[in-house]
Amino acid sequence: MTDILSGFGQEIISGIALGSIYALIALGFTMIFKATEVVNFAQGDLMMVGAYVNFFFVSTFLSNSGEPSAWTFMVALLCSIIFSVLFGLFLDFIINRPLKDAPIFSVIMATLSLAIIMRALVAMIAGPISLMPISPFGDNSITIGIIVISVLDLSIIASAIILVIIFYFIFHYTKWGIAMQATSEDPVAAQLMGIPIKKIYALVWIFSALVATLSGVLLAPRIALLDTSMGFLGLKAFPAAVLGGFGSIPGAIVGGVILGVIETISLGTLSFHFEWIKEINDIIAWFVLIAVLMVKPNGLFGIEKVKKV
Amino acid sequence: MLKLVGVETYYGKIKALHGVSLKVEEGQLVTILGANGAGKSTILKTISGLVEPENGTIHFNNIRIDRKDPEKIVSMGISHVPEWRRIFPDLTVYDNLFMGGFLIKEKELLSERMEEAYAHFPILKKRKDQLAGTLSGGEQQMLAISRALMIKPRLLLLDEPSMGLSPLLVQDIFATIKELHKSGVTILLVEQNVNHALKIADYGYVLTTGKIFLSGTYDELINEEKVREQYLGEGKYIRREKLWGG
Repeated sequence: MTDILSGFGQEIISGIALGSIYALIALGFTMIFKATEVVNFAQGDLMMVGAYVNFFFVSTFLSNSGEPSAWTFMVALLCSIIFSVLFGLFLDFIINRPLKDAPIFSVIMATLSLAIIMRALVAMIAGPISLMPISPFGDNSITIGIIVISVLDLSIIASAIILVIIFYFIFHYTKWGIAMQATSEDPVAAQLMGIPIKKIYALVWIFSALVATLSGVLLAPRIALLDTSMGFLGLKAFPAAVLGGFGSIPGAIVGGVILGVIETISLGTLSFHFEWIKEINDIIAWFVLIAVLMVKPNGLFGIEKVKKV
Repeated sequence: MLKLVGVETYYGKIKALHGVSLKVEEGQLVTILGANGAGKSTILKTISGLVEPENGTIHFNNIRIDRKDPEKIVSMGISHVPEWRRIFPDLTVYDNLFMGGFLIKEKELLSERMEEAYAHFPILKKRKDQLAGTLSGGEQQMLAISRALMIKPRLLLLDEPSMGLSPLLVQDIFATIKELHKSGVTILLVEQNVNHALKIADYGYVLTTGKIFLSGTYDELINEEKVREQYLGEGKYIRREKLWGG
């Protein structure tokens, strides 16, 4: 009995860690969707690029200095952040600006193409082999009561919480953050306030690339082998966002965490008792998606949109 | 102060303004009257830069503004209260005013203007932490006007401020507009409520299908038979569909 309990406990913690990453990816594209009504299918691949870039910086610094230290990781992270800011700005220029008034279908095609291009480019530059990222937190684990938790998972959860708090603060208490909210609510009225909405859109893309990169950095050590298929994981942010209520930022976060927990529990305890669940683990997220759409299409936090005439 | 010459604006291939020319002098309250779809809102949108005119020029204090971005035009001192108010419903009343003062750099000035807005409409102070979407129609209109006044505009564009309000609130709103005008704000007012608008205005333009077809002072317009027929419901035949903009 304690076996099952401790198993469940571990799975829930590790599910929350995985879910935090889904939540961050979902947060990134919910922000873009709310502000610009672009559904960015490349969000997962942004994360993948971020993970690769960070890996590149870490290994470059390691080969120069030898021993890994906290500084190596900090400087690498800082470089990755700078990269993601520039990359977000670049995406705003090549995707958002030219396609602002284009039909939704063109925008979907553009972000899908962007995803494929990024995957191909990264494979070309980094080579086709999988890389082994190093975690700054090592692979230790701690035991609380009967539950064994990996330090990596804890650090992922902690980082995600800190990030969400920082974002919450920016969006609700800073001038530019509130302006971002205002722009996503009513871009026309925002313009009449003198808010430069082109700059706001660029900012939103930068934020979104930044969250993607950070989630990539967090996720990479957890999946042990880094290759370009990491981008596919990002697609799971969609069921996460739908589960929470598409377009809702708290919804994206809660949906992501729940989805992560569902995945790890189904892979762990449940598949131990029901062999067949193991087979469907990879697609369980999509079952959740279909179930939510059938039962509660607005998700947990979704508000029914009443369109004013 | 504001001068439009031969302004032509298109929505896609549809011509909404067929060469509109009008003038607003410093300190005036000018009104544009006309039925629904005549192009009244389009004139305001063209002035504030939300849509670009195809032809014609717009000058504000002798500076040409018709190719400038909306945020640049706001920073020159033109505030636009759009049709249906368009407050930010999921932001608090305070944050709505804060956004109205987006261009204000100094913190003290911002809070000073905020206090002025609260002094003018005490109900906004009472509701400052409430989401703006929960306000009543009249309160939302007060918020929309206060939000536009945050930058102390030199010219205020008002698009149908009485829309969707009860007759009593309409009286209030027009009293507020009159007060603003008295305090020295130059106003360009678009209205379907002809009677009210003409009473407080110094000068009026009547617009039909994208063209100015009459202009004059209250006395001149009120005695013009066409205006009486079409907009005041007097005269030999009343065209209701025009009167109600149907």
